[in-house]
Amino acid sequence: MKEKPAGADDRALIERIRLGDQDGAGELFERYAPALLRFADRLLSDRMLAEEVTQEVFVKVITRAHQYDGRAEVSSWLFAIAANACRDRRRRDRRANVVPLEAVPEPTSRGEGIEARLLSHERRAAVREALNALSEEQREALVLARYHGLPYSEIAGVLGISVGAVKTRIFRAVETLKARFHEGETSWNAAN
Amino acid sequence: MECRELTALALDGKLADSPGPIREKVAAHAERCSACRAQLLALEDTWGRLGEDPDLPLTPEFRRRTMALLEDEMLRARIREFVPPSRRWMRPLLEAAAVVVALVAGFAAARQIGPPASGRTASKTASAASLPENLEKAGALANVSYRPADPQGRIGVTFDVTSRETFLGRPDDPQMARLVAFLVSRGAQTAGEKSRAIDLVSAHYGLKESPASPDIVLALTNTLKKDQNPGVRKKAADALAGFRMTPEIRAAFLDALRTDRHPGVRLVAVEALAAAAKDSPDQKTIESLREKAFDPAENGFVRAKAASALKGIEF
Repeated sequence: MKEKPAGADDRALIERIRLGDQDGAGELFERYAPALLRFADRLLSDRMLAEEVTQEVFVKVITRAHQYDGRAEVSSWLFAIAANACRDRRRRDRRANVVPLEAVPEPTSRGEGIEARLLSHERRAAVREALNALSEEQREALVLARYHGLPYSEIAGVLGISVGAVKTRIFRAVETLKARFHEGETSWNAAN
Repeated sequence: MECRELTALALDGKLADSPGPIREKVAAHAERCSACRAQLLALEDTWGRLGEDPDLPLTPEFRRRTMALLEDEMLRARIREFVPPSRRWMRPLLEAAAVVVALVAGFAAARQIGPPASGRTASKTASAASLPENLEKAGALANVSYRPADPQGRIGVTFDVTSRETFLGRPDDPQMARLVAFLVSRGAQTAGEKSRAIDLVSAHYGLKESPASPDIVLALTNTLKKDQNPGVRKKAADALAGFRMTPEIRAAFLDALRTDRHPGVRLVAVEALAAAAKDSPDQKTIESLREKAFDPAENGFVRAKAASALKGIEF
């Protein structure tokens, strides 16, 4: 799940984009677009919006390549742009909080029987609803950790918070999800 | 391994990737801690359940659209680059040119306008004797400033009425004292201006050997009694402490010692009253100082000062 291309390669790509190299933009897109699309999709639960956000990230990279100072990983910079863009979208359209079942992407389930497909569709919808029940901050941190394998320090860089705050957000997110998935069980805190 | 360490590892979702010894420690802890065992299972299950949400695939159509968009954007970026960038040396050069143009234009304009016509002077200077009779009706005076004593011993007060006016006079000139008293009492617009007026009083009127102007004493005692600003009240108290003690000044200090909310003002009152009582002990002063020295609610400095003042007074 972890996606961490070499940092030096990424920086070289940004430099090429800054110099107007179209192929550099294409390579960066191939490298990061799938992850950014998934990230935006899990934050917004809307394929159209997720695609818009992904495009916006790459347009910003082209127009702001000169602003990248190389201190953070390129991946962190891209995720930070995407997280900000998602927040803007959510502010603009609060309807994104409501997840219609049809907004959940269809699986690539060739050969599955109709019952199995329905069941897996329901389970996906349940996961997506549980994710949407989290606060925006918790969801951002959890998605970066669980689906993108980013270490806490990098998540902290993306979200502009401390590592401690990242841990707290993820801990609370997992507690909420655990309670949702395993209703009736005692909480971790209560057990300690 | 502690429960919290296990929590942190489990939250990372990387227990499976952990080195063998850590996995063994986790297993050993889970073996003896039933709560952790149960929660570990729940956590792993939660982490696993999140995996049931599949990744959104990137479609060829979206790739094609986005690549076209990025191509357009790169072209735009290149067009933006064609705009000749401003050179580093251009900006200071243009700024210097602008300064030269402004100076030349200003010089030319000044030559055209010529010197100011007689009678159009911006400021008038007059003797304090010519101070208007209705000064007290003028309200606060704007932009008050003071001139130190000149070789003739005259101090100056300047302010704006309809034009800028300066009045010169010796401090003992009753008209100048009246002007200064007016500035202390209500002619100053701000606490700062009032403070500067009181400073002028302290500098030129605080002579113990000569009686103070009744106007100034009244202005200062009123300020001590009524001004809202404790800093101004303290300055008024300091100025009054420099005067020869009179019944009016003593009454003002006794009143301040009893009622002023600021300990700094009360402290000045104690010092002034004690200093005066050394030469001529006064029953009211002694009683007030004794009261303060034994008042548990009074500020410690004020109490100590009152007690030590009482020691220095011969009853």
